[in-house]
Amino acid sequence: MNLNVDGENIYGADIPWLYALRKKARDAFVKNGLPTAKTEAWKYSYLPSGILDEFTIAAEPHHCDGHCHEKESLPFDCRQIKFCNGSLEHIAHDLPRGVMIMPLIEAVENAEIKPYLNKSFAVGEFPFADLNTALAEQGLFIVIGKETELQEPIYIHYHQHEGAPKLNNIRNVIVLEKGAKATIIEDFDAKEDAHYFNNIVNEIYVGTDAFLQHYTRQNEAAEARHVALNSVAVKAGGQYRDFVVHNECLYARSESYVCLKQENASAEINGAYRLQNSGHSDITSNIRHLAPHTFSDQLVKGVLDGKAHGVFQGQIHIAPNAQQTEGRQLHRALVLSDGAEVDCKPELEIFADDVKCSHGSTCGDLDAEQLFYMQSRGIALDDARQILIAAYLNEVFGKIEDVAVAEWLKSIF
Amino acid sequence: MTDKPQIEDLSGDKYKYGFTTEIEADTAPCGLNEDIIRLISAKKNEPEWLLERRLKAYRHWLTMSEPHWAKLKYDAVDFQALSYYAAPKQKAKPKSLEDVDKTLLDTYNKLGIPLKEQEALSGVVAVDAVFDSVSVATTYRAKLAQSGIIFCSISEAVKEHPELVQKYLGSVVPYTDNFYACLNSAVFTDGSFVYIPKGVKAPMELSTYFRINAQNTGQFERTLIVAEDDSYVSYLEGCTAPQRDENQLHAAIVEIVVMNNAEVKYSTVQNWYPGDKDGKGGVYNFVTKRAACRGINSKVSWTQVETGSAVTWKYPSCILQGDNSVGEFYSVAITNNRQQADTGTKMIHLGKNTRSKIISKGISAGFSNQTYRGLVDIAANAKNARNYSQCDSLLIGSTCGSHTVPYIRNRSKSAVLEHEATTSKISAEQLFYCQQRGIKEEEAVGLIVNGFCKEVMQKLPMEFAIEAGKLINISLEGSVG
Amino acid sequence: MTQKLLEIKDLYAGVAESGKEIIKGLNLTINAGETHAVMGPNGAGKSTLSYVLTGKPDYVVTGGSMRFAEHDLTALKPEERAALGIFLSMQAPVEIPGVTTQNFLKHAINAQRKYNNLPELDAAEFLKLLRSAAKNFDISSEMLKREINVGFSGGEKKRLEILQLSLLQPKLAILDEADSGLDIDALKIVSQGVNQWHTKENSLLIITHHLDLLRQIKPDFVHIYADGKIIKTGDMALAEELETSGYKNYLDAAK
Repeated sequence: MNLNVDGENIYGADIPWLYALRKKARDAFVKNGLPTAKTEAWKYSYLPSGILDEFTIAAEPHHCDGHCHEKESLPFDCRQIKFCNGSLEHIAHDLPRGVMIMPLIEAVENAEIKPYLNKSFAVGEFPFADLNTALAEQGLFIVIGKETELQEPIYIHYHQHEGAPKLNNIRNVIVLEKGAKATIIEDFDAKEDAHYFNNIVNEIYVGTDAFLQHYTRQNEAAEARHVALNSVAVKAGGQYRDFVVHNECLYARSESYVCLKQENASAEINGAYRLQNSGHSDITSNIRHLAPHTFSDQLVKGVLDGKAHGVFQGQIHIAPNAQQTEGRQLHRALVLSDGAEVDCKPELEIFADDVKCSHGSTCGDLDAEQLFYMQSRGIALDDARQILIAAYLNEVFGKIEDVAVAEWLKSIF
Repeated sequence: MTDKPQIEDLSGDKYKYGFTTEIEADTAPCGLNEDIIRLISAKKNEPEWLLERRLKAYRHWLTMSEPHWAKLKYDAVDFQALSYYAAPKQKAKPKSLEDVDKTLLDTYNKLGIPLKEQEALSGVVAVDAVFDSVSVATTYRAKLAQSGIIFCSISEAVKEHPELVQKYLGSVVPYTDNFYACLNSAVFTDGSFVYIPKGVKAPMELSTYFRINAQNTGQFERTLIVAEDDSYVSYLEGCTAPQRDENQLHAAIVEIVVMNNAEVKYSTVQNWYPGDKDGKGGVYNFVTKRAACRGINSKVSWTQVETGSAVTWKYPSCILQGDNSVGEFYSVAITNNRQQADTGTKMIHLGKNTRSKIISKGISAGFSNQTYRGLVDIAANAKNARNYSQCDSLLIGSTCGSHTVPYIRNRSKSAVLEHEATTSKISAEQLFYCQQRGIKEEEAVGLIVNGFCKEVMQKLPMEFAIEAGKLINISLEGSVG
Repeated sequence: MTQKLLEIKDLYAGVAESGKEIIKGLNLTINAGETHAVMGPNGAGKSTLSYVLTGKPDYVVTGGSMRFAEHDLTALKPEERAALGIFLSMQAPVEIPGVTTQNFLKHAINAQRKYNNLPELDAAEFLKLLRSAAKNFDISSEMLKREINVGFSGGEKKRLEILQLSLLQPKLAILDEADSGLDIDALKIVSQGVNQWHTKENSLLIITHHLDLLRQIKPDFVHIYADGKIIKTGDMALAEELETSGYKNYLDAAK
């Protein structure tokens, strides 16, 4: 794969600060390479070393037969934005006062994005993010202004048609200023037989007393690969709430890197995954409590069947002096077949004493007693299993306040 | 024998085993190469097959590099600056306990380990005493032999029971396993060998007491325990070292083989010198301990109380091969001052209906850092495997660190795994309640910490548990106020 | 001649962290053998008084003096005050997981004996003492083996506090809301226990806003405590009067 960002035809070559950043990220990616089985954070989810050679980054004219401009019909009101084959097709207009959404390209042109681009994590920390930084031309810059409450969610739809195997590097920067409030829903889907690799990086800045509700529905094509990083910085009193749903695809990894930087910042990171065949799903999080009185809570539930591979890695880090902090984390997996594998690594890293931290992990099959009880009341075994699986997942979906969104997220299972 | 109490006075430390024993030693020159390995082998009059094994391990070791994945920071060990063999000079190998050098007997007496069989207290424990690189005495051998139990130093076992040693040595921890195990396989000097024949329940606790005395010496001991069908043994291990300003290296291997319906309980109270309050000196403890449950219904239980060492890298593990076999790990680890510990266990479930239980209690104080690191791995064929893990950490003061890194891998649908971890501190309310009833703050901390660890301490044999409880209090001295 | 046990003079104290002043010029003298009751509305800081007397680190004395049996209390650690003979029965006794009640009591008794230059009790002596005391308060040996206060009902916790009172034999017992959460039978056991221990040498300070316990223990003095000091002192009749007419009159008068 051609990673030559020295060339003049690559986007941003004429903007010195951007060019410097891209070159630095490119150099880091070339030096570190793709993560391997020996990379601790990727040991369960490394990809074959030549994987990227299968894909092209060149945008090609696509044949979307007009569907791209049609609005999705969704069970909730929202402002819709659409990417097709990794290119921005449609952006929301007529935004209320205090809300700004612009394409990444425009945002780098007028440098407003500069204080945010690649500022929530360092180059060299996340290999796929470095690749994204070096190459991304597509994406959004979203700013919700001071004390602005955006009622309708921003819905971002990423759709993939068939075509040459494509690596999509999309970079979104989302800024909530002081007291702002918004909901962002990301939805990934594709034509059934599409072959592509989505490499998504969201940098999210939650300002003082701001609130962001973030949902991600990953419903990629069976042959898709999907790597997403949400790098989040939360200021005093800010709240970040995230829910990610993974349907099955060849390979999916959603990683959250959340820094609770000031007092009373909080994060809730929940998720669910359901795998039936031989897909790979990885939900990884690193929640960094960097200030006193910060709070985090996490529940992830998964159901695995067939030869599927589920991975959960969750780190709670409590910095020295981050006293009177609470971090809770729980992962539960239902393993329905002997061919399935679940790897789980919850991790606590604690450098302050006056804290309440806990994590838990469980793993098991459906309860035989419950199944039998239902059967004895006349429910067929298969139905009983489905009921119990749904009940199992309901615990985590029940954490979503908006019932319509919860049902919509669940509908891909 | 001269003690050096002035060391203790100067440093103000509470490590009561910090004295050195002045005894003439037969020490190999510093450095590691094939000639040194041949020298060790020659000193011990070893058969050719063992020397070959050592050399093979050494050649492999040269291709390996020191692991750095643990949350430990320490100065690199200069393996060429160490001596790999030190033995107290005795006129001849003692034929009985009466012939053992009095200086050595005194040393062990001082450590609370009487090597005279008639000592009332030791009536229930048989002891193998290892001083630097060699075993100096093994008690109750005759009595144990009556029931067919072999309890001797590994050097003697090599000569007297070569078929057993050849069959089992390295069968649980192969020399290729890891950097330190490989080093040990090349240079190990002595250690204990236990063989419990079919159907025999050991009539008393067996124990090894390790003492590092000589300066600039690495201690590389090797313990091998084989429990045949339907047998039982409870084995204790204790360790201390003198207080020295430089770091000492300890890299041991313990291998346990357990057959059908047999049970082995292995208890450790690890009290190597932890260094002074500024982190000067102390033992580097890099240990590989592993048990293979090879039979049906076999059971292994590791219990450890870790209070010593400057750096600990240790993961006593169970390979649960036999159906219905059981592995248990009970651990209390206390770190204070500048100590660092990265410790935990591995439970590898291969057989059907295998069960494992992990209870880990970590207490960090001062500027210390402690990590629980564990693996629970359930293979696809391990039908109905069960694991329960609980890791609790207690932090004393705001300058220490406590970390929990469990790895959980499951490939069996009928397996049930539960893992829980919590972190807490001693609450001001608890302290005040104790103080209001007249208990001093330090004693109150000891009491609360002992309560926190109780579940593990109960697994230790009685006399050991009392010692360990005291040790916890000593280790925490100076951690409050 | 009556002997002064506790003498509090013009005491000012508050919360260490916030600096909030709670006790503002309190005077109270308790002589050997006397029983005092401090009554007052909720939130008046009655528990603060018990914590200040026993030296809870969350509170700080900012003025005045507290003397107990010729010792200046402010200079002493909580355990030293306990060993001198001040016992506080807490409103909500703390749970200490893993530490059995029995073991805890042994530590407490021997720590206090050591402080007072008495020989420590060995296991047998201690058990004998404990068993006979436990019997008095309907505390089973099973309960003594349980972890202290962990999973105990409100009544069980209070009975255990009174058992400790009888074992530790303090000179001054402070009962902070010792009657809250007790049914009639348990209240009887508690008051009997207190009365048994209560002799001519021993004094009692009861902090409460209920009458039930006072009727059983019969205080010599009843104090109304409000806004950080004692605003009225009387006898049992004062307590009975409060039951019917409340604190309002006195609070208004004090303003």
